[in-house]
Amino acid sequence: MSEEGKNTGVFICTSCGIKDCIDTSGLVKIAEEAVRFGNCIEQANLCHPEGIEVIKKSITDGKLNKVLIAACSPRAKTEEFRFNPDVQIERVNLREQVVGSHEPGDEDTQMLAEDMMRMSLAKLENTHLPTPFIPDKASEEILVLGGGISGITAATEGARAGYKITLVEREEKAGGWLNDLYKQIPMQSPWTRPQDPILAPALEALHQEKNISLLTNTEIIDISGQPGAFCVRMSRGGEEISKTVGAIVLATGWEPYDPSGVANLGYKDHTDVISSVEFEKTAGKGSFKRPSDGKPVKNVLFVQCAGSRDKDHLPYCSSVCCGTSLKQAQYVREANPDANVFIIYKDIRMPGMSENYYLEVQKDSRIFLTKGEVAGIIAEDDQLLVNIKDSLVYSDMDIAADLVVLAVGMTPRNSEDLKLSYKQGPGLPTLKYDFPDSHFICFPYETRRTGIYAAGSVRAPLTVSDSMEDAGGAMLKAIQCVEATKRGEAVHPRAGDQSYPELYMQRCTDCKRCTEECPFGAYDETEKGTPLPNPSRCRRCGICMGSCPERVISFKDFSIQSVSAMIKAIEVPDEFEEKPRVLVFLCENDAYPAFDMAGMKGLKYSPFVRIIPVRCIGSVNKIWISDALSRGFDGIMQIGCKPGDDYQCHFIQGSELTETRGENLQETLQTMMLEPERIRTEFIEIDEFDKIPALINDYMEEIELIGPNPFKDM
Amino acid sequence: MGMETIRINPDIDFIEFLKKDSGSDLSICMQCGSCTAVCDLSPDENPFPRKEMIWAGWGLKDRLMADEDIWLCHQCGDCSATCPRDVRPADVMASARNYAYQHFARPRFLGRWLQSPKYLPLLIMIPALIIAGIIALAGTLKIPEGPVDYSHFFPHEWLNGSFSVLVLILVILMVGSVKKFYSGLRVAGSPDKSGSLLRSDALRVEKRSTLKRMWEIFIQKDFRSCTTNRFRYIGHYMVFGGFMMLLVVTLFAILATIFFEYPMPFFHPVKIAGNLAGVSLAIGIVFLAINRFKNPSGSKAGQYTDWFFLINLFLLAISGGIVELARFMDWSPWAYYLYFVHLVLVWLVVLYLPYTKFAHVIFRTIAMLK
Repeated sequence: MSEEGKNTGVFICTSCGIKDCIDTSGLVKIAEEAVRFGNCIEQANLCHPEGIEVIKKSITDGKLNKVLIAACSPRAKTEEFRFNPDVQIERVNLREQVVGSHEPGDEDTQMLAEDMMRMSLAKLENTHLPTPFIPDKASEEILVLGGGISGITAATEGARAGYKITLVEREEKAGGWLNDLYKQIPMQSPWTRPQDPILAPALEALHQEKNISLLTNTEIIDISGQPGAFCVRMSRGGEEISKTVGAIVLATGWEPYDPSGVANLGYKDHTDVISSVEFEKTAGKGSFKRPSDGKPVKNVLFVQCAGSRDKDHLPYCSSVCCGTSLKQAQYVREANPDANVFIIYKDIRMPGMSENYYLEVQKDSRIFLTKGEVAGIIAEDDQLLVNIKDSLVYSDMDIAADLVVLAVGMTPRNSEDLKLSYKQGPGLPTLKYDFPDSHFICFPYETRRTGIYAAGSVRAPLTVSDSMEDAGGAMLKAIQCVEATKRGEAVHPRAGDQSYPELYMQRCTDCKRCTEECPFGAYDETEKGTPLPNPSRCRRCGICMGSCPERVISFKDFSIQSVSAMIKAIEVPDEFEEKPRVLVFLCENDAYPAFDMAGMKGLKYSPFVRIIPVRCIGSVNKIWISDALSRGFDGIMQIGCKPGDDYQCHFIQGSELTETRGENLQETLQTMMLEPERIRTEFIEIDEFDKIPALINDYMEEIELIGPNPFKDM
Repeated sequence: MGMETIRINPDIDFIEFLKKDSGSDLSICMQCGSCTAVCDLSPDENPFPRKEMIWAGWGLKDRLMADEDIWLCHQCGDCSATCPRDVRPADVMASARNYAYQHFARPRFLGRWLQSPKYLPLLIMIPALIIAGIIALAGTLKIPEGPVDYSHFFPHEWLNGSFSVLVLILVILMVGSVKKFYSGLRVAGSPDKSGSLLRSDALRVEKRSTLKRMWEIFIQKDFRSCTTNRFRYIGHYMVFGGFMMLLVVTLFAILATIFFEYPMPFFHPVKIAGNLAGVSLAIGIVFLAINRFKNPSGSKAGQYTDWFFLINLFLLAISGGIVELARFMDWSPWAYYLYFVHLVLVWLVVLYLPYTKFAHVIFRTIAMLK
């Protein structure tokens, strides 16, 4: 028998200890009762070619649309269990979360496996394959904003990969800071002398690409739309230009830190105390002259970390200032063989191979380096007397210098240059130190606005060579975005996901929670406050679904209804003493793999928990919690990824939102006359699998203390 | 830290001397402190030789010349073996000491002569002429008849007298430099313990009582803890022990010429001790020489003076033995020529002591006992 769109095949693997742990015939029975059209097959070694063949044959013969595989974790064997894209796949995690984590042959383990089968069947019943959203007039063109070395490189790389690029520069000519460089820190072996700026060859490469249109003297008026169809309005010397682009690379670069506020460095007090940026501009013009009286400069003192790595000024390391000062020290020594150069540092930081350059500069007997703190600078006779404390020389020092150069750090240019006409503002949200990253280590280039990728020193303080590498990376991301958007797929981090939030607008009350809580600014809104979704801006986390009090937001394969159905599918026994039940909402990104790992390590925890994986802990809607409580669940746990600076939610704000929404949930508990402990929120890191048994078992003990949910059996 | 503020004025010539003498590209020191971490002498609160390395690199000559820590160093080479930049701090410390010999010793021209082989004949001529002159004054400047008796060639009273004068000259020459060295230490060493760490009183050896420090000078137990170069310790101790013993034997011999019978018979205990000491000295020097070939320092420049001293001392020990042998074997007249050469070697070692490595016996002793 078959019915269009409802033919379900259930395949239960008996290997990897599954058969030894549970009675699979119980699962077969449940499946056979639930599935009206299709088949149910028990098979050993389901992931082996013979098992795959069985599934494939059933799909063809039985015209299956939905396939349920009860075997290992959905994170395992993904290649093996990939079939025709028209077939919807659901997995029951028997191996890791039943066999690995619970006692074999136990009645409670069997009940858990059977409930998991019911939940997955309910989910399959209530979800559908998504139909992708593809924006109208999807463009493959890429806009690069900022014509410095990062922008130039990004544009060149993009064009070489076959994409049309518009490179926008606000100044008269491209090149940015490199126009002011006399020489740059060496980028390759032999690391001995500063090299000529890479700008000229980079511009030559840029001009060779036919697919790049360079717009100088141009600024952004505004940007609207979404990936695949950003509408960019620009002003080129007053003349307005409009363009539709698929993705944007933000390469607007940096501004030098103004050290005026660092009192001990006397930047404001002495004319002959200048910044490294100012010094660079005077290089390459023969001997150096003092700004105050034009007399030739002999001894120069460089102060590293001028404001940097100081929590009162610029708290981070810009990673380029050490190299810059070493390079400038060589300028001074080349201009005058009798000059002495002093470099006072906190630490010399020459990343990677550039350590070789440090070694080379040190070889000069007249370049003196020490760790130390500049206590003050005073004018003495014709010179500046720099007082240094805490140096490696082991006494306080006075050094007379003709010129003091402050090695200043890099600050990112404000991303409001983008002039986004988004509901959540014109710029990119920042994470730390005003850099518009969404996660520095895991997701470089990803800003919190999908389709906009930061490259170069607007993203992080970088050297010229690092900026160029960065530019290539960000351009690849932009290309990935253009291509994925064209297919209606999410770019990141759920790459390839074709589902997107669909709003049942008739019930929307314009409460604006979704437009405000979306971490990625995917929603704009009308003047009235009605949400205007932009599906290609979306990262498919479901935080909007979790936020919606009217439950109007759903995905095809993850919805209010599908999760509610899963909750209803669980059998909650009446007797509490032996069979309490706790529902766990588990974030798929880090918490779920941690549970899998606990299973792989054989760590056992209470079999009374029932786990529902969610896209982000922020996607948990309040209704599921009240559903579960009225079903008689004794407790509910929400386990998300750890928030904070050192660790992070994949969707930036999911974990934090869950904490703030907690107050709301407590109100629900109060209206139901339930104890506040019935809901607990926990955060774990991906490698904290060893903490899981205690996490679960402690909560079970607490629930036993509180006693049964009074709604049980009502 | 740091009660006193110093005005930085790098002495480039000093840096260049150290670089040339040690053969170390010392300015590439990155002040990591690996040397300090492995140095057995360096206590927690006084990073030796790290601070000395930056003083060297910055040309802070006055600092290093007033630093007693460099004299406490055994040059065991642990730091050089550990240095990630191959700066060889041990060699730099040795070069700082070499600079100090020239820096403190007077008259300066002798120091200059000791720097280059071209002055070698001149350096040998000076004691040779002086000794010949003394013998001439004694009226014995001819090869005596009969069995070999050195007192016929160089009467005991003239010999003892002239060597007393030699030692006196040495003491007079040394007084000035020692005074300068000592007062430098006192100036640099601030009485305020919380202040400048220039004072090396934190170095481990300084925490002991004076008696213990004296004892350390004789037993050199700290030197034994050097793991990188054990061989050098053995060689050095043989030289040191042999030399000290010979000094005692010589004093006894002087007394013997006055109060007892002289020369002593071969099996006299003092004679046996003297001969053993001479052998120890010679073998010790061979050890040290082998060690120098095995672990060549990067520099060729600084080695001449060192070799001058080592070879002198070796020839001194060997010639002493031969002179004794010549007496027993009655090799007239060669015995007298050898005796003359031996005396010249004694003068070479003693007279030029302030300018060679040998001067460390003075500086190190002061640094240790201060």
